[in-house]
Amino acid sequence: MQYKSQAVAKPYFIAAIGLFVGQILFGLIIGLQYVVGDFLFPEIPFNVGRMVHTNLLIVWLLFGFMGAAYYMVPEESERELVAPWLAHLMFWIFLVAGALTVLGYLMVPYAKLAELTQNTVLPTMGREFLEQPTITKIGIVIVALAFLFNVGLTVLMGRKTVVNLVLLLGLLGLAVFFLFSFYNPDNLVLDKYYWWWVVHLWVEGVWELILGSILAFVLIKTTGVDREVIEKWLYVIIAMTLITGIIGTGHHYYWIGTPEYWQWWGSIFSAMEPIPFFMMTVFAFNMVNRRRRNHPNKAAMLWALGTAVMAFLGAGVWGFLHTLAPVNYYTHGTQITAAHGHMAFYGAYVMINLTIISYAMPLLRGRKAANSERSQVLEMWSFWLMTVAMVFITLFLTGAGVLQVWLQRYTATPQPFMAVQDQIALFYWLREIAGVVFLAGLVTYIASFFVGSKEPEAAAEGASATA
Amino acid sequence: MTYALASAVAPRRYPPGDLAIWIFILAELSVFAAFFAAYAFGRLGQVELFNAYQQTLDRRSALINTLALITGSYFVVRATAAIREDDSRGCFDWLLAALGMGTLFVVLKSAEYAHHLGEGIHLGTNRFYMFYLSLTFFHFMHVLMGMVILAAVALKARRGGYSAAEHTGVETGGAYWHMVDLVWLILFPLVYVMR
Amino acid sequence: MSQTFTKAMARNIFYGGSVFFFLLFLALTFDTSRALPGRDNRAAITEKVARGKQVWEHNNCIGCHTLLGEGAYFAPELGNVYKRFGSKEAIIAWIKAQPTGAAGRRQMPQFNLSEGDLDAVAEFLKYASEINAAKWPPNING
Repeated sequence: MQYKSQAVAKPYFIAAIGLFVGQILFGLIIGLQYVVGDFLFPEIPFNVGRMVHTNLLIVWLLFGFMGAAYYMVPEESERELVAPWLAHLMFWIFLVAGALTVLGYLMVPYAKLAELTQNTVLPTMGREFLEQPTITKIGIVIVALAFLFNVGLTVLMGRKTVVNLVLLLGLLGLAVFFLFSFYNPDNLVLDKYYWWWVVHLWVEGVWELILGSILAFVLIKTTGVDREVIEKWLYVIIAMTLITGIIGTGHHYYWIGTPEYWQWWGSIFSAMEPIPFFMMTVFAFNMVNRRRRNHPNKAAMLWALGTAVMAFLGAGVWGFLHTLAPVNYYTHGTQITAAHGHMAFYGAYVMINLTIISYAMPLLRGRKAANSERSQVLEMWSFWLMTVAMVFITLFLTGAGVLQVWLQRYTATPQPFMAVQDQIALFYWLREIAGVVFLAGLVTYIASFFVGSKEPEAAAEGASATA
Repeated sequence: MTYALASAVAPRRYPPGDLAIWIFILAELSVFAAFFAAYAFGRLGQVELFNAYQQTLDRRSALINTLALITGSYFVVRATAAIREDDSRGCFDWLLAALGMGTLFVVLKSAEYAHHLGEGIHLGTNRFYMFYLSLTFFHFMHVLMGMVILAAVALKARRGGYSAAEHTGVETGGAYWHMVDLVWLILFPLVYVMR
Repeated sequence: MSQTFTKAMARNIFYGGSVFFFLLFLALTFDTSRALPGRDNRAAITEKVARGKQVWEHNNCIGCHTLLGEGAYFAPELGNVYKRFGSKEAIIAWIKAQPTGAAGRRQMPQFNLSEGDLDAVAEFLKYASEINAAKWPPNING
């Protein structure tokens, strides 16, 4: 760790992992409710479990992004963070606000929460992923502004590397597009149109800039490949991201009341959205192949390569499978969507967070470069357990989705929703089993922070003991 | 000894311009190809409609535009040739001429759009107009972008920023302009002429 | 020397391309907003419908159901439930009758809505069913 203020990243990363555990526990609850429909009813109805699951995901990813920025920016800018105290303060504010919000979801009926938080003054609640009370949303804006001020000023006053600028641009975009969550018109079509300006332009837009910059940073550090080469390809990748992804927003405008030309525009551009992910995969493997050094943190490199591959599969391939309008007509709002969503989020954003944590945590905990051999082996086990489990979750949900589409939408004698759900129950059971394996992977992951933490660092391959 | 010789001769790299731009040109051509394929597919179901409304287009204006773009490309070629002879001023002049052709295109196309708007035609009018407006507007924006690029290159040439040995920017900017021209050469017959 | 130049070019393509496509997106958004009044059934947005949307949001119906295909996939699509059930009364009766209590079956909570709120949310769902969604969903099951 080169700069003292990079240490503020540590609590962010710890909170991120803690919330990740919460997310998965609730994922298992709602996954079980798919097949044991009254499990924990009425104490935790499905919609409450789901909003806890999704909101925890988003919040822990945000904690991860902020931790990543607090770690990367001082090192890239070659100066200390402008206001470490502010980072600490915002950490607690965000954590407490988040905890209170999740407790609110669990402890009181949602309508009561809306009433208690005076949602009618500026109604923003009740939309998917944006279930937070308006006051929480305002809190998020404040935390984001303080965060952007902190890292932004640090970059402006230091070395403006491409990694820094792209990261900052992504984070700025994240904040700006979040503002659309405050726009909630009575007109359902308008509501949906601009909702996607938060969700799509986040995960298929500015978040990819954050992903790209973190990946570039880790590759620069672990492969030793010339920064000029890596940064050039970062620009190429994010250019393709926005070039395809902005108009690609149209693939959410097929069936929500918007004009039908979106079926053409959306299909053409979103079909090309896998391209930047493909480039990222080629890029990551290329850089590792051309590496000038053997970095002792093998786990981090595994996460980095895994991120590129899984993001391409989950976001790129699975996304492509149902992005063309003629296909989407039948698959819209089915388990196909859930399958794609899970692998895309895991592959791109969960894994890039785990990548940066894998790289940075050893350094934040006082290591010179990496954890011990034993820790890394356990961590790499957790990589495979979680990743393979997620692949199976996705495959099972895809199976469920294909059958659902056939029975409910495509066949000449379509059946009602609930009747179809009964018939795809087997897939849900299999998905739940895979989910348990995923949890096992997560437990292993957490164990890797403790097991072997007293043992000596792993040496780089081929490095001599005295070097 | 051999190194000195090599740099003095300024070898003609192929493809000209930077590799990254060719990736983008490939991506651009792919999008247009996808659009053209979509047009062909979309036309299949409504051939009569397409043929009928195609008649409402101003073919003469489009023909002049085609000539304008081709001439513009010729001027770009002359500009590149000029800088290869270290003639910065000549390069600038030819690029300016190309920009003139671009301006002609923009003016004529804008007039066409103004006419359509006046008739109340828009993206939702029918499938033909949806494709016609989408394809030509998408291309139109590329012409504007091409002009921005050529203008930037021209300004740099005028300031002496290029030489016979190093003028990748001229070749790259030129390649982009040629791509825009090429796309129109497919678009024009496809949308305006072929039945 | 050539390498640095290449990175600058990639940077220019990034900024140029992003601005280009953002402008194009704004143009299409502008056209969409012009076209929406003919498609989004906004004439039917009465105070009751607006209240119904609020009831829908305050009870987080989207947390189990989809609406025009968006939402959660635990419970049926409700964009066309007005057509599927045939009347507002049927929708209201359904909401009043939950939960079924059937063992092992997926349960819908009892939200204890007032008569006014019930009528409003049913009106909202009627309004939603009349939005021009390009012939989606493929059939009455949603």
